[in-house]
Amino acid sequence: MRQFHSLLLFLSLFTLSVATSDYHEQLLLTPLHPSLLLASFNFQSNTTVNSFEQQNFRNFPRSLGQILQHANTRELHLRFSLGRWDAESWGARPWGGAREGGTGVELWAWVEAETDEEADGRWLTLTNALSGLFCASLNFIDSTRTTRPVMSFQPSGDHKNSSWDNLHLLHGTLPREVVCTENLTPFLKLLPCKGKAGISSLLDGHKLFDASWQSMSIDVRPVCSAGSNDCQLQITQTIDMVLDIQRSKRPRDNPIPRPVPNEELRCDASKPYHSEDTCFPLDTAAQEEGWTLSQIFGHPLKGACPLATDGIDPVCINVPHARQVFASEGSHEHLDPNGFMRCFQLDPEKELEMILPQQEITEKAPLEQPLLYAERSFIGYGQERGGVQAILTNPSPTKAVDFVYMESLPWFMKLYLHTLKAKINGLDTHKDVIQEMYYRPALDRKRGTQLEVRILIPANSTVVLTYDFEKAILRYTEYPPDANRGFDVAPAVITIGNVSIRTTSLLLPLPTPDFSMPYNVIILTSTVMALSFGFVFNLLVRRFVAVDEADQWDVRAVRLKIAALIKAKLKRFRNAEKAEKRE
Amino acid sequence: MSASSQALVASEPGPDIYDENTKQNEDAPANAVSAAPKRKEPPPESSESIRQRGYVILSFWAIILIIGLPIWWKTTAIYRARLPLDQMMDWADGRACRPVFPLRISIEVDSLQDHEAQHLLRTTQHALDDLNDFSAHHLRLELSPSNASTAATGLSTGGVENEELALVIRLLPGITTKADLQSYAPILDIYYTPNQIPSSSSSSSSLGNYIANTLRGMFAEEQAMIAYLLSTSSAPPERSPKALAPEVAESLAKWTTRSMKYSRTYHLTFSLFTPTATPSSWDIEAALEEHMKPLLESFSSISNFTIDTQVQLYATPGVSGDILKKEDLSGFINAAEWPLSPSIGGAPTINFIVYVGDMEVEGGGKSWLIPQWGGVVIQSDISDLRPAMLIFSNQLISLLGAPESGSLPLRLMTLVRVRSAGLLLKASGTMGSLARLTLALPSISIPRSVAEGVYTTIEHLRKACDGLGGQEGLENARIAEEAAEKAFFEKSMVGQVYFPDEHKLAVYMPLLGPVGVPLVMTVLKEARAWRKRRRGGR
Repeated sequence: MRQFHSLLLFLSLFTLSVATSDYHEQLLLTPLHPSLLLASFNFQSNTTVNSFEQQNFRNFPRSLGQILQHANTRELHLRFSLGRWDAESWGARPWGGAREGGTGVELWAWVEAETDEEADGRWLTLTNALSGLFCASLNFIDSTRTTRPVMSFQPSGDHKNSSWDNLHLLHGTLPREVVCTENLTPFLKLLPCKGKAGISSLLDGHKLFDASWQSMSIDVRPVCSAGSNDCQLQITQTIDMVLDIQRSKRPRDNPIPRPVPNEELRCDASKPYHSEDTCFPLDTAAQEEGWTLSQIFGHPLKGACPLATDGIDPVCINVPHARQVFASEGSHEHLDPNGFMRCFQLDPEKELEMILPQQEITEKAPLEQPLLYAERSFIGYGQERGGVQAILTNPSPTKAVDFVYMESLPWFMKLYLHTLKAKINGLDTHKDVIQEMYYRPALDRKRGTQLEVRILIPANSTVVLTYDFEKAILRYTEYPPDANRGFDVAPAVITIGNVSIRTTSLLLPLPTPDFSMPYNVIILTSTVMALSFGFVFNLLVRRFVAVDEADQWDVRAVRLKIAALIKAKLKRFRNAEKAEKRE
Repeated sequence: MSASSQALVASEPGPDIYDENTKQNEDAPANAVSAAPKRKEPPPESSESIRQRGYVILSFWAIILIIGLPIWWKTTAIYRARLPLDQMMDWADGRACRPVFPLRISIEVDSLQDHEAQHLLRTTQHALDDLNDFSAHHLRLELSPSNASTAATGLSTGGVENEELALVIRLLPGITTKADLQSYAPILDIYYTPNQIPSSSSSSSSLGNYIANTLRGMFAEEQAMIAYLLSTSSAPPERSPKALAPEVAESLAKWTTRSMKYSRTYHLTFSLFTPTATPSSWDIEAALEEHMKPLLESFSSISNFTIDTQVQLYATPGVSGDILKKEDLSGFINAAEWPLSPSIGGAPTINFIVYVGDMEVEGGGKSWLIPQWGGVVIQSDISDLRPAMLIFSNQLISLLGAPESGSLPLRLMTLVRVRSAGLLLKASGTMGSLARLTLALPSISIPRSVAEGVYTTIEHLRKACDGLGGQEGLENARIAEEAAEKAFFEKSMVGQVYFPDEHKLAVYMPLLGPVGVPLVMTVLKEARAWRKRRRGGR
């Protein structure tokens, strides 16, 4: 997996140096254990800043370019993510986490503006326009969900020094947003080859959103070559997904899992209880799952995108060289001599099908160790207070890791900063761990809490960060539909150098009222008022007499009266009828 | 009914019990024995306690009427800003403004004597007035003040006086009578033969008639447009001219559906769509620079334009086949897949599409215009963009609503006048709708911003009406129209409309029921008792 990382590094260097090539795309497939496949799609196109400003768009999408110009946005990062990356068994994240966002939607951008208010206005324009473009609720990123990170994010583009002072970094998250097909369609529309040719033809909403984990990203940044004055605007779109091979192989028209037929079960016959009706499954760790491209993605790859003319092989797979990979006619295999990588050059006219048969193989492509393991969860109980605990582990046996932990909490989660504690390996050595802190308290209904903590974890240690909070009680109209589900709390962002990883999002249960409450309150208070009023009023206006002097309320008398009345009416009615008949 | 356990029972003061008992005896069957024992009458009430009870009831009611009612009124009142409804209706009905377009036409006559020129002017004006049956559109002739100098400077002065003059007529001696409209300046050259110079005695002249007819022909389209606008608005019928010919009315109806809503800025998007991966680039910058920019500059006094271009590969149209039927054209634009999203600024987008392909519209032709949206050109070879750009220029002019005939400067000036008239009428119509809406829905709130918008609109309408026909009139009409639309579509106005009466009932009933019923009943009883006492007293 070192090679994998170095390839990514090489690719990013390559794209920096060969900025003249307008478009390139690449798919990298990495089998993960057990029977999972990581597919990383990368699309990159450039346009000169000059033609961008004149609004002549070729490979750069016009719809996005227009929004960026209208909102004076100089650098943009947009993420749509779903699921959880299992770092323990899948290793380091693709792109080192640089192309990944927290669960839901995450957006951060450098907006050029003279003042903070102007920046807020442009941010609002940006979120609203992107919301329309990507069919996502980005317009719900309001002031309570927007933060201005101080230590966490660094711009990845080359910005002119003159404009640097006027750039405002704004960051917003929507942890509740469910990413789905309607977000993929506009994403594909931004690509020059759409989903019609090249590796993007493999992208299909049914498969993508069936993945165990997936992340879509869009990054726009200016890239200037050193020394010269011509700058380029670069858009990078990536999609990473972890697919379950067995799940993907299920037929599409009949996706319900069914038990394996008896004769196909692979049992360990050496067990004493092995018989016709008992089976101990055979250890299949050394067994590589067999799969084909069209099984995983639903159809084969429809030829190379003709715009990608820079000679980079569009499809790569990261497996040991001993693993058999058969590719269809028209493609050329290139083996990386000192690694696990092999790449395929495609014919633009012919479809690519790739077949990896089932194979017993002991050699495995090594997993790269992540820089940090992070998990976060709620502690405490009750409706009033709670706590958050983040467990951060540095797996490296030799190197300390220095990072910034950023929380942006909703305003109704009121943080008690004095309860913030960091334990290292179970001991309270608060001083060394927390190096620096930036805290911006919440304002009710106006902005959320922003907490950035610079933490240094020594080699092979675990830091447990805990803090307590109080749950606010919301107003009646502030509860979302389905309030009993809970409120999503955005993932914490951990920035290590220029790589960032995220914890999972949290679901915070808040005290939720019964929503028929207003009418109940009206009726209850009215009843109380009417009772007391009636009591006082009757006491004042009624006359009190002895029982035998009081009015008799005789039910029988009333009944007789009504009966007599009805009788009289009936009689009159009959008489009238008789009169009519006579006539 | 046994009440032996209770010592006291509240009794209703008043109703005559004896009466009821006798009635009951009458209604009961004859053989029934009345079980009710003869009751004791309560001792007569002192007038002191009766008066006291009256005061109690009165004070309860006083509190309700003096404190409760005003508080309720105040807290549930809907804010309704005062609107100048009469003025608004005046504008809507066309009483406030008589749209008149006085067109000044200057005549340069260098070759004639002054009195001859004066006479020619008079006769021509006469002939014009006889021809014209539409008072709103009036052509007024005048002699060019410095006959000699303007002829020498010619074009340049024509440009300066554009603001004021609709047209300059230059009378030049020639061999035959003919009119020649210059293509890039609002100047009409009329050549006349020497025998056409009117004698001072005759009341009409052939030259005068010729000029009048020529002018009438030139401005006929504009007149028809304005007449059509007036006839479709709610202006009083005597203002609009005689009914337009059906075919003219039909073409004008098409013209209104085709042209875009007026805006100060338009956004133009030029897109290249190709069904395959080639061609992936086009030389659009140069083509725009050469064929589009000059046209857009000449429009600059009316509207500004921003431009962007894009290339889209692998684009399949909404319809297939080599021959496109007329009814297929509307489905050609594949709205679901082609990224033609409107621009995000306030400016409306006009789309121009070059589609690479060999298709042809049924009956020939490879381009068409989509009303209020843009134009499409199908072209298989995009190395030369000139034909496409020329088609787009024409489509742009007609999408902007300019008339079809005349030279470009005249068409632009006509466009200004027609647009101002259209905006003026639209804003006035909106004022009328707003006034009727306020009267029809008494439960909607009218925030102050609406009233402000109405006053802004009326102020600018007034200014626009005074300066109708010029740039300023157009600008004022535009501001008025914008303010009127904003006032009409104010969001907070409709909030109360969707609050159903059932909800009010549910809120009021729990309190007003139990409190109100005893209050009302006591008053009724007390009144009955009082009447009985009075009758008994007599």
